Amino acid sequence: MIDFLQAVGDGIFIGLVYALLGLCIVIIFKASETFNFAIGEFLVFGAFLFYVLFFDLGFPIVVAFPVGLAAAAAVGGIIEWFSIRPLLGRSPLSMTMVTLGLAMVMRAVIQFIWGSHSYSFFLELPDITVEKGEFLFISDPIWAGMLSIVTFIVILLFLFRTRWGLAIRAVSEDQAKAMAFGINARFILLIIWAISAACIAVAGIMISNFGALSVTSVSVGLRSIPVVLIGGMDSIIGALVAGIIVGVTESLAGAYIEPLGLVGFKEVAPYFMMLIVLFIRPYGLFGTVRIERV
Amino acid sequence: MLSINNLRVVYHDVISVLNGISLEVKEGEILVIIGANGAGKTTLLRTIAGMIHFYNGDIIDGDIKMGDVSIKGLDSSDIMKRYSLTYVMEDRPIFEYLTIEENLKAASYSRWDNKVKDDIEMVLDYFPGLKRTFNRRAGYASGGEQQMLAIGMALMTKPRMLLLDEPSLGLAPLITRELFQIIQKLNRSGITVVLVEQNAFAALNIGNRGYVVEMGRVVLDGEGQELLKNEDVREFYLGAGETTRKSFKDAKRYKRRKRWL
Repeated sequence: MIDFLQAVGDGIFIGLVYALLGLCIVIIFKASETFNFAIGEFLVFGAFLFYVLFFDLGFPIVVAFPVGLAAAAAVGGIIEWFSIRPLLGRSPLSMTMVTLGLAMVMRAVIQFIWGSHSYSFFLELPDITVEKGEFLFISDPIWAGMLSIVTFIVILLFLFRTRWGLAIRAVSEDQAKAMAFGINARFILLIIWAISAACIAVAGIMISNFGALSVTSVSVGLRSIPVVLIGGMDSIIGALVAGIIVGVTESLAGAYIEPLGLVGFKEVAPYFMMLIVLFIRPYGLFGTVRIERV
Repeated sequence: MLSINNLRVVYHDVISVLNGISLEVKEGEILVIIGANGAGKTTLLRTIAGMIHFYNGDIIDGDIKMGDVSIKGLDSSDIMKRYSLTYVMEDRPIFEYLTIEENLKAASYSRWDNKVKDDIEMVLDYFPGLKRTFNRRAGYASGGEQQMLAIGMALMTKPRMLLLDEPSLGLAPLITRELFQIIQKLNRSGITVVLVEQNAFAALNIGNRGYVVEMGRVVLDGEGQELLKNEDVREFYLGAGETTRKSFKDAKRYKRRKRWL
């Protein structure tokens, strides 16, 4: 029982990071019906930007963190400007194809600039390891989970409490209608990509902090696929719930199934979970409920 | 106020929808544009509002002028900001998953001042029916309320000119009459209205002038009442015409007369 609770707890902390990844996919999907396949590359790129500021240039973390996020947002915006904006009004599928291409280009750029070896990555955050009785929750995942949930809440407040957020939600519903009412849909899309890139960078920094940072970390981005498919492609609350589900599934598989000899099953377990959910609810747990008038 | 000269618009580089249309909107009038499906009415409004590129259309010839300045090729948000021109798309262009209040606020995005609250009150004065469902999602409102909301949202942008694309689409006759009364009221408050309608009789009744559009050009224009009396308009758009039943022999004549000029 202790083992079980320990595994669930670990899963929740890492799951919150996955939830943040899911959110990044969801806000872009809601706005332009595009699945951002380049999420893993954005993640590594954002983490590297922070790495340069913090480790190479030696800025203190309170400077490096916001500046790094701003830089990641700027990169996201620039990429949107060049690759997505020209396709506005075209089929969402073509935008999705572009993100696949983006993934390859960005991976090559990362390897070109930083090479493919790993960089040691350690933020000296205060130690908040929780050790009580037989439970042990390590400091880094707790930090990661907390920072992710804070970012998540900040994004939610931005979306639901500000005028910009309202404009974003309006564009998410229908670009043409939003344009007809004077909302500059192109600019809003740029903002969305920038926000998404910044959030992904937060997740990237937290994930890199578990160990090392290298170009191979792009595979973490793949975790966002089960998250958004379980939660529903266009549901923000779905991303949160599904992120935790994926984290816990992964952690439980690591604790109970891997010792049976199925090494590496941890990586696959979220996809099994995804299959089960999709069999029962094809639109995901919280996928759009279409408004029907009575 | 707004003049359109010999405008030609092509979708996807092949589908020619507007073939040299020319018309003029005078300040303070209600201009009615009628025409069959596919005549190019919606395309015309999209082009004026600067949204044609979004639909993969291109202006290949002609000009749109606001006063003396060409607004051809400007982006929709620029046109709205500079010339206070608002386009209400057909089929109730509201954001279904936002509440009615949020819808009205979202439409005020282009202004960003602190008079939004007063303006919401103003809109609710025009459309008291919206108060009842103010905090509910707009998708659950009735068709009439949704259309009222769409026009209310347009008012939030402080328009001097409104382009209305088939506001009576799918509404009961009584609601349509109410809606047209409100449009007249708005017009009296100083807003120029361009009204595209299938409900030609009702529209021409409130309109100062009208154009008949067919195959992407204007085939007939005149005062509203004058058009109502025009025999061709009566026959093809009002379904009134001659009261006697036609034989097949006459049906042929019908086709010949449809060429207008």
